[in-house]
Amino acid sequence: MFLTRSEYDRGVNTFSPEGRLFQVEYAIEAIKLGSTAVGLKTKQGVVLAVEKRITSSLLEPSSVEKIMEIDEHIGCAMSGLTADARTLVEHARVETQNHRFSYNEPMNAESTTQAICDLALRFGEGSDESMSRPFGVSLLIAGHDEYGPCLYHTDPSGTFWQCDAKAIGSGSEGADSSLQEHYNKEMTLEEAETLALSTLKQVMEEKVTASNVDIAKVAPKFHLYTPAEVEVVIARL
Amino acid sequence: MAMAMGCLLPPEPSQAAYREHQSTWSPYENNGGTCVAIAGLDYCVIAADTRMSVGFSILTREHSKIFQLSEKCILASSGFQADIRTLQKHLDARHKIYQHEHNKQMSCPAMAQLLSNTLYYKRFFPYYAFNVVGGLDNEGKGCVYTYDAVGSYERVGYSSQGSGMQLIMPVLDNQLKSASPLLLPAKESATSLTESEAIDLIKDTFASAAERDIYTGDSMELLVVNASGIRREYMELKKD
Amino acid sequence: MGLDFSGLEPPTIRASSSFPNLQPNILSSPSFELPSVKDLDGFEKAAVEMVKPVHGTTTLAFLFKHGVIVAADSRASMGQYISSQSVKKVLEINRYLLGTMAGGAADCQFWQRNLGTRCRLHELANKRRISVAGASKLLANTLYSYRGMGLSMGTMIAGWDETGPGLFYVDSEGGRIKGRLFSVGSGSTYAYGILDSGYHFHMSVDEAVDLGRHAIYHATFRDGASGGVASVYYVGPEGWKKIAGDDVSELHYKYYPVSQPVVEQEMVEILGYPPTGNLGDCSSIPIYRNVASS
Repeated sequence: MFLTRSEYDRGVNTFSPEGRLFQVEYAIEAIKLGSTAVGLKTKQGVVLAVEKRITSSLLEPSSVEKIMEIDEHIGCAMSGLTADARTLVEHARVETQNHRFSYNEPMNAESTTQAICDLALRFGEGSDESMSRPFGVSLLIAGHDEYGPCLYHTDPSGTFWQCDAKAIGSGSEGADSSLQEHYNKEMTLEEAETLALSTLKQVMEEKVTASNVDIAKVAPKFHLYTPAEVEVVIARL
Repeated sequence: MAMAMGCLLPPEPSQAAYREHQSTWSPYENNGGTCVAIAGLDYCVIAADTRMSVGFSILTREHSKIFQLSEKCILASSGFQADIRTLQKHLDARHKIYQHEHNKQMSCPAMAQLLSNTLYYKRFFPYYAFNVVGGLDNEGKGCVYTYDAVGSYERVGYSSQGSGMQLIMPVLDNQLKSASPLLLPAKESATSLTESEAIDLIKDTFASAAERDIYTGDSMELLVVNASGIRREYMELKKD
Repeated sequence: MGLDFSGLEPPTIRASSSFPNLQPNILSSPSFELPSVKDLDGFEKAAVEMVKPVHGTTTLAFLFKHGVIVAADSRASMGQYISSQSVKKVLEINRYLLGTMAGGAADCQFWQRNLGTRCRLHELANKRRISVAGASKLLANTLYSYRGMGLSMGTMIAGWDETGPGLFYVDSEGGRIKGRLFSVGSGSTYAYGILDSGYHFHMSVDEAVDLGRHAIYHATFRDGASGGVASVYYVGPEGWKKIAGDDVSELHYKYYPVSQPVVEQEMVEILGYPPTGNLGDCSSIPIYRNVASS
């Protein structure tokens, strides 16, 4: 795939002769190194689950935060360079609060996703207000607005797609095909929780425990599961 | 009205007189006029007269003070019409951007909040505009929001602003006054009058205000917002 | 004109919106357009005189053993005209923080909403609620940077945080005081009279609510710029709850009931007679009848 790379992949904003932005494509590759995250949409709400990837027993699991709340009705799961994701989430939080302040109403999930993606394109040389490189993170944004529950997937190119179910990260290929097989739109929230965890279980090397995965739902408010609640779902696997 | 320009032309300026004239110049002017709005259970009526004045002169008898902000939201303002026109254009531009960004029209409560913020951002150089916003809220009930010049606002069942405000408000209080929304348990602020009763009431109040307020008269423009859309009516008022 | 606090802001990438005039970022202190006149203070004084923003009030708050009571009237006056009898003067910043409104209504509404936004962002970033001291400090710092510009706000921030109930008074001169009992507004002196005589720390919640309501009633009785509905809120460990909303004219008769004098003859009206078109139901003929002795 990268045989044609030559001098065109160093400049962040340089197109190659074939019309590709290599740095953006490399950023998309970086996601494949990240921990797996899955999201599923049901009529009752959206479920997000992430693999925390605790690399050592000396690591405090509760400090690994890969699902974050953006507003009471929107949350997101990340995969890739999680530090980059924090910048995007911070920006989304400011945008949603700004919207509430200006219009006295919650911001649509799609508009929030668009606001995040607008930021993703803000990279380049010589501009003070931008990053020097593309963001190396992919997000699964789960929201509940006037149009009902919804799930969006964003990537470093600044594109987003609306999905019924999606997996991102290192195990995404296997997880995606598993989701395609087992997911259906009429699932209940509980079935979705179970499917999310079992999909993670398939792609994770370690055994699934309450301290190496995180689950959250937006139904209709964002809620990050406590370890006890995660245990309940694990028991159903 | 303390800031309105005097109707006498300044004399041929000498140095001192020129300086004096400079110190009496004001960026504001009061063009007079009155606006009223009444919220019903499933409709909202907004009315304003069409006279535009400055000092003791009438500039025109056919100036509309009403502006449609969105499908379900109308703005009526009295005060300095130049500031009002700018405010209308500003809100309209913001609404267009909102529609592009969010693929939907702004609801009336959202527009009400936007107007409040817009007025407050000019806190140190205010828009000389006394506004009333009327429309249907997210549940299809009538809502009226009343403002002061720097953006403090409140949802009410009825309101009037402008030069005839102090003549009209007591009549509306007498006919429409309902239990305050601050009581516990909270009560509905919209009136239970029917649409035609509310329209008749507004017509009567304007006719009376035109009798005693020099800045109100000529004709009255009335808009009704309900589930089937927006409808306009006109009524002649005294032209003296 | 304002002090530059940008060094204290958390470093994030700002949304450099393509419409800078139309969408100001709320994290930085909003930049307000100023008129380019030589005499800004004179202009501001004249502008305030002309636009007559809404003023006049009685608000109070006090700490007691079980939490905080916050009470206010609901009248807004523009000069001598009562522009509203139903103004919400207890502003709900979030579920466990209340602010009161005294002074310029627009100033209070705007800055307390702004405070609510910043408190929410604090909560999201730190995963815990902001303390009352922190919230009041945020507001006081903001108001300090606009000191001398003519904002008019005397507000109390009351809430329940991890250290228990908290109450601060913050004003537009940049002052911030922690305290146990405050009353702010044109009717505050009357409210202090009732509060100081009836207050003790170990009151029950009901007694405290009654005291707050009583104090507001008395202030509305004597102060022309206060009136409307007396609202009383209680802030406890679970957050705030509105306990009372009473029309002050009805409260008057509750506190000072009028005993009915004995009448021998009672005037009774027969409605709708004589039947004329214009006067309708208002016409009537008074008729005297003897009151049946019990």
